Amino acid sequence: MPAQVYLDYQSSKPVDPLVVDAMHPWFTERFGNPSSLHQDGDEATEALERSRERVAQFIGAAKDEIIFTSGATESNNLAIIGYVTRNRRRGDHIIIAESEHISIQNITKSLEKQGFKVSRVGVDQYGRVSVEKLRRKVLDTTVLVSIGWASSEIGTIQPMQEMADMLHGRGIAFHSDAVAALGLLTIDMRKVPIDLLTLSSNDIYGPKGIGALYIRKNINIAPIMPGGGQERGLRSGSENMPAIVGMAFAAQIMASEMPQEVPRLAQYRDRLIEGVLGRIPQSHLNGHPSERLPNNAHFRFEAIEGESLLLSLKDKGIAVSTGSACSSKTLEPSHTLISCGLLHEEAHGSLEFTFGRWSKSTDVDRVLEVLPGIVERLRGMSPLYQKEVKL
Amino acid sequence: MKSTSYSEKTLDHFRNPRNVGTLEGPDVAVGKVGNPVCGDLMYMYIRVKDDRIADIKFQTFGCGSAIATSSMTTELVLGMTLEEAMKVTRNDVADALQGLPPIKMHCSNLAADALHDAISAWREGRRGETPEPPRVGEFSSSCPVPVSSPPDIEGAEELLGKGVYRKVEEPRAFADKRVLIIDRGKPSVDAALALTQHTGRVIFMSPVKEFSSKDDPRTGLKRSDVKVIYEAEPLAVLGEGEVEKVRVHDLNENDEYDLFIDALVILEQADH
Repeated sequence: MPAQVYLDYQSSKPVDPLVVDAMHPWFTERFGNPSSLHQDGDEATEALERSRERVAQFIGAAKDEIIFTSGATESNNLAIIGYVTRNRRRGDHIIIAESEHISIQNITKSLEKQGFKVSRVGVDQYGRVSVEKLRRKVLDTTVLVSIGWASSEIGTIQPMQEMADMLHGRGIAFHSDAVAALGLLTIDMRKVPIDLLTLSSNDIYGPKGIGALYIRKNINIAPIMPGGGQERGLRSGSENMPAIVGMAFAAQIMASEMPQEVPRLAQYRDRLIEGVLGRIPQSHLNGHPSERLPNNAHFRFEAIEGESLLLSLKDKGIAVSTGSACSSKTLEPSHTLISCGLLHEEAHGSLEFTFGRWSKSTDVDRVLEVLPGIVERLRGMSPLYQKEVKL
Repeated sequence: MKSTSYSEKTLDHFRNPRNVGTLEGPDVAVGKVGNPVCGDLMYMYIRVKDDRIADIKFQTFGCGSAIATSSMTTELVLGMTLEEAMKVTRNDVADALQGLPPIKMHCSNLAADALHDAISAWREGRRGETPEPPRVGEFSSSCPVPVSSPPDIEGAEELLGKGVYRKVEEPRAFADKRVLIIDRGKPSVDAALALTQHTGRVIFMSPVKEFSSKDDPRTGLKRSDVKVIYEAEPLAVLGEGEVEKVRVHDLNENDEYDLFIDALVILEQADH
């Protein structure tokens, strides 16, 4: 599949060719609209509900707890805005994590302008929220807590079970954007009392432009987009049938592959971390050393800048990501890295590797072969670098 | 245009930078520009002979275009008179590279400025001052060194005992915490060094530009695991019921930013 050494699976994943095959008939011969009452419509309705069932099974949910959306951004908007506007009479206070993805940060910023109060619970140096600190942020007016299951960037996994147990029974809804954890961690909604969960299709090798929101029974939200009343009135618009079928099939494949795939990726991750930290002086691991996504290795290198690293790796046919400001649209360094307590100049030197379904053991070899030389070359021209002997 | 949509010429200068290095001697002047906090820092070294740039080298910490513009500038101006070189602009450098992505025009196209700074240094007689390799925090030479009387840190009283410390009595209490220690002379240096035995993240913040004297006890921090932030002072410590972050004043850039920490140490005695 990916031609080069592709180690940027968190940014984008290829759609599994089997999924593409499954989607195909729904563009042409099976084009019915589930709202129609004729034969074609019935067929579509059946496929829609079967797909809902498959996605629900993937996270241990019931079928009627799943709403299809256009992806994670919409699911996050629907969960947070839909919940707090529907439940405003009960309170106006929202808690998120300081390290939260920009999708969540910007939703809460827009709610602040509408008069909602938002608290941001700090994370430790590894990007992890402490349950105790979260508890101390809870007010009588708190209606919603939103914390991502894991960071797609630094790979840190949050203590979801502990946080959910602490919040449970207090009349506070708990939302989590779980896209980074999908297909990498077991998610079972029968065990974790989370009320709203964001899912996306591309994160499990399904097509882009489709996602889902899990809404636990008895949790009420308002729609954010008025229209024809599809998806129990919560998400209007004709159902995107090819994409829905594709997402459901992708979930099915993922569920059967996870037991072999997760340890395989973790092995690559561990070998890369060990190799980089062992071979490159003044290199550091960002994110948690053990509570970490099995496919994520995130480093920072002193005295060099991430975009230069990224470009040099690109020249060697290796695709990665960086948290450096110089590669972002805003010229601001990664908010997640800053929330871990890094200085701007440290965040600039960061590099992220994420493995996926088509990763090979030789990808790790290739990185370990070229990266030390690239770092040395860039440090050779950096005025910040000193081969200092630390006492 | 993406930040990495560079022209072939730019990529060539990034991949094969010309004139990387340093120069030394009585006929050498150095120019500096940028700030690693912003992701760019450049040093431009010129050797002047008969009012012409006889040799030129650079060192750059920065992104692809920062490196390419540095390299291009050295190639453009080698052999020019100082007057000609003073007229080379950022736009000339960008044009010579067949253009830069718009977002990069200001943030990392600083090499011409570094060159002009070097020429000014030469003209003002600051010659042969080849610097020690700089450290994070030693930035542009134009910034006055602040005279420090310990500033009042907003919020420190309220958070005393909740992450703000006036003394370090029980170093084990700092285990695995992100600790920021404010420069209060030798006792604060000793505290910082002692704490590195208990946590991997000790940051020492000082308003000065550099610890230059060998007799300065703070010089010892350079050889330790303590991360030093120069030319900065805390404005406020923030947190609901416990320390969460410090609002930092970057004295060089006259800018402010947040630093997320777990503990702040402001020793009682200022010892200068």
